[in-house]
Amino acid sequence: MSLKGKYSKGTIQVCHLYPDLLNLYGDRGNVLAFAARCRWRGLPVVVHQTRPGENVNFKEMDFLFLGGGSDREQGLMAEDLKSRTGELGDAIEDGLVILAICGGYQLLGNYYLTGDGQVIPGLGLMNFYTQAGEKRMIGNVAVEIVLDGNKYKLAGFENHAGKTYLNNIAPLGRVLSGYGNNGEDGFEGAHYKNVFCSYLHGPLLPKNPELTDFLIGAALKRRGLPELLEPLDDSLEASAKEAILRRMRINL
Amino acid sequence: MLRISTAITAARTVNLLSRLFRKGKGSSLPGLVALRICPDILEVLARQTKLGIILVTGTNGKTTTNNMLASILSNSGYRVVANSIGANLSSGVTAAFIEKATLKGKVDCDYACLEVDEAFFPLISKKVNPGIVIVTNFFRDQLDRYGELDKTIRFVEDALKMIPEPRLILNADDPLVAKIQVNSGLPAFFYGLGENTGLSEKGGFRVREARFCPLCGERLFYSYYHYGQLGKFECKKCGFHRPCGEVEASGVTLSGSNFSFTINYPGGSVPVNLPLGGLYNIYNALAAFSAGFLLEMDALKMSAFLNNYKPATGRMEEFTCLNKKVVLNLVKNPTGFGEGLMYLLSSTSPMDVLIGINDQAADGRDISWLWDVDFEILEQIHGKINIFVCTGLRAQEMGVRLKYAGVPVEKIIVEPGYTNAVKRVMAGQAQNKYLLTTYTALWPVEKELRKYVA
Repeated sequence: MSLKGKYSKGTIQVCHLYPDLLNLYGDRGNVLAFAARCRWRGLPVVVHQTRPGENVNFKEMDFLFLGGGSDREQGLMAEDLKSRTGELGDAIEDGLVILAICGGYQLLGNYYLTGDGQVIPGLGLMNFYTQAGEKRMIGNVAVEIVLDGNKYKLAGFENHAGKTYLNNIAPLGRVLSGYGNNGEDGFEGAHYKNVFCSYLHGPLLPKNPELTDFLIGAALKRRGLPELLEPLDDSLEASAKEAILRRMRINL
Repeated sequence: MLRISTAITAARTVNLLSRLFRKGKGSSLPGLVALRICPDILEVLARQTKLGIILVTGTNGKTTTNNMLASILSNSGYRVVANSIGANLSSGVTAAFIEKATLKGKVDCDYACLEVDEAFFPLISKKVNPGIVIVTNFFRDQLDRYGELDKTIRFVEDALKMIPEPRLILNADDPLVAKIQVNSGLPAFFYGLGENTGLSEKGGFRVREARFCPLCGERLFYSYYHYGQLGKFECKKCGFHRPCGEVEASGVTLSGSNFSFTINYPGGSVPVNLPLGGLYNIYNALAAFSAGFLLEMDALKMSAFLNNYKPATGRMEEFTCLNKKVVLNLVKNPTGFGEGLMYLLSSTSPMDVLIGINDQAADGRDISWLWDVDFEILEQIHGKINIFVCTGLRAQEMGVRLKYAGVPVEKIIVEPGYTNAVKRVMAGQAQNKYLLTTYTALWPVEKELRKYVA
């Protein structure tokens, strides 16, 4: 019984963590896209803008978004989340759908190793680590992912100095063009249960509706609701993705 | 000496050629060529400025502030070097001097008004040794070039410490600018916009940058703000607060697309009737006025010059095309775009809108920032806008942004080519057209627009 009376049963609960702190690079577009695509299908959705120190019951949420911020702001976010790592871990095991981008992605891992050898511990919820790189990895990225056995291409923009290395955990996809996790092993992002991590800004979800719908489907399934989504006209989204993929000489 | 002459001749030739082949306007290429031939040409030319060099830096408002100041000074009878078309890297600043130099490298000017890109401020300020530095504001802009805003501000602060006795003119309403005075320890002259009923918003819920004290990190308290983070701020922990403006605007009223207000300065006040929409242009006028005041220009004359100010290309520039009123406006970051949308919101007549988005180096390669622009506010006026024509290299992405902001899909027209895009917006039903574009889309859109000017 993970859902309580406070939230009406049919309403999808979206939690945008710390939009105050982590509002770099248009990442709020991910929340907008998730919510819009629920609404367009007549699925009621409510977005909770959660500020540091505010109480959230992670298990009652259907979708959690964690973005990135400047170093100082990420420090504040890490501090606040550390006190609830246990709850968040339980929610992840329970199948909570999470999208974590850039700084939010790094935070879920074991640690961040800075240029001068300092170890900044992460939440340790996912088995990977990040270390400071010499140069920032900036530019358009194309990634191939597999969802339910179907291959899709994602397009986005990355801008990170940290290089992430996966231990015993699956990547989100394979890099077709750009750097991805570290510019070395060809992996991009990380994936565990319903947690999806990525370096892709853009923001990621609006231009990549296949992934958005997959996340919505996963959230519905966790609740025991029918996960089959009514198809939408995504021609505008597809043309936006195609425009940038074409520049990387990749076909949609 | 010979190298200077060679550099100037080469720059002039390049300039002539690029004009002949219409390769963009007043580009930075001549400056680049000159700097390649004679790396210290900027120092040599700038050194000849007789009365003083004024640098304008910050995120938004550089071009307009600088042009307003240059027009105040030149209308007052001084000879002025200015990079008036927004080319604000080393090359553009150099080109501005070259334009006024003789072939032997002599520059006969009293003042130089130079707008300088934030990231190039350290380099340029070291070379030209400014007497006055104006800092307009800091908003998030073109992140892929500089990493983060905090870093950009630190660049400017560190550079200021290297200049001997600069007089700082700072925006009192921007905590990120006001803190420069505290961090640098330099004396500063502040300008600001007082609280105005109807224009200022209470609280600071939508403040984007500087929600936290830039000095101690505590949450900042805003009693009101105008847009972005510009307003009356106070840190309850360390006491950092909005400084009192020496030059302040009060009694702002909007009539049509003009702003009327009073500028209060030490020892007096003058009325101004600014022929420009956009609240940010009041700040630009205040900054230019402040510099003029420090240079002992006449206040009444300054207000007259401001009343007759003609905007630079794409700074709320007005055209009449096929008997329709067209406004062209440059947008380059969430705050500026947000202010641009306010113009749409305040308009009472129907509009056809064009948005041109490019992602070339000068625009910022990353266009994620479009999602930080509050297009959702357009919901209040969807009925008033007939069409949104999206153009430029990222026209499709712009279309997606509007779709997710709730704009009905049938109103979104994606037309990457400028010629067709401008044709579509001009063919729209509304008498008023509003065109917003990023930097590199501005000139091509303007060029298309000129075809419709009678």
